[in-house]
Amino acid sequence: MKKLTLAAAVAAISLAGFSSPALALDVEAAKGLAEQNNCMQCHGLRKDKDGPSFMKTAEKYKGKAGAADEIVKHITSGKKVKLADGTEENHKIAKTMPPNDAAQLKNLAEYVLSIQPK
Amino acid sequence: MANLESGKQGIWATLRRPSVKYSMLGLLVVGFFSGIVFWGGFNTGMEATNKLDFCIGCHEMRDNVYEEYKYTIHYSNRTGVRAVCSDCHVPKDWTHKMIRKVKASYEVWGKLTGKIDTKEKFEANRMAMAEREWARMKATNSIECRNCHDFDAMNPEIQKKTPYKKHMDAKAAGQTCIECHQGIAHKLPKGFKKPGTEEEEE
Repeated sequence: MKKLTLAAAVAAISLAGFSSPALALDVEAAKGLAEQNNCMQCHGLRKDKDGPSFMKTAEKYKGKAGAADEIVKHITSGKKVKLADGTEENHKIAKTMPPNDAAQLKNLAEYVLSIQPK
Repeated sequence: MANLESGKQGIWATLRRPSVKYSMLGLLVVGFFSGIVFWGGFNTGMEATNKLDFCIGCHEMRDNVYEEYKYTIHYSNRTGVRAVCSDCHVPKDWTHKMIRKVKASYEVWGKLTGKIDTKEKFEANRMAMAEREWARMKATNSIECRNCHDFDAMNPEIQKKTPYKKHMDAKAAGQTCIECHQGIAHKLPKGFKKPGTEEEEE
């Protein structure tokens, strides 16, 4: 019985230990995914290129509920977007390994939302 | 003197001595056909080392780069055209293929000494390995890519506008595929930034 309680305690501690970092923003992973998907070819962190900067997007969604989900939808649905020169193009669909990994996409979206003006 | 020499023993002497038993034609015909068999066998063997299954025969490739590649377009796509490891990493022409295969002996050494036998070791060496491969591809003007891809075959009606523009700019600037398309079939090394995307850090 004592053993069981101990096992339960260990399990609870390790669960708590593992689940909290999963919720936190992993900046390195987000940067890696952005690089892998060539996001930075059209978006700057704080500089507008063909697309708006991440900072601008973060401002746009500031305080809005479901902002991260909106961004995930934006980068996975391939919808039409307006480029800086006024022309339109389908947005690239971000790919993850393994495919359609919601956690990785959400982490990237949270990263975009975290970019503040300097 | 000549008799003395021909009376010498040993394998070298035997090889140098003219045949007393077989006709010249017989020797030539047998030599010719064994040549075909050996040459064919050699190339077939070489070709076997170009197969995907051979490459993922070691866990270093199977658990790392192969796992990543499986999710990319060069492995699985709409039309079912697949580019396997050797299509991108081994030159097609014989001479350069041989040179690459000889260089691969270093990879065998790496396997024997366990240089990348864990995920951590692989990641620690990923940047160095990737940079070596990118340099090789750049030096050959991305010849393996161009076995299938060609600037001139890109159709602006079908290719998206932004990539088309970038491709045409690259063509005009004499750039080669690998200068922009790193990590298309594998994960990029940690911390790698593509050229042209550098900007202020947070």
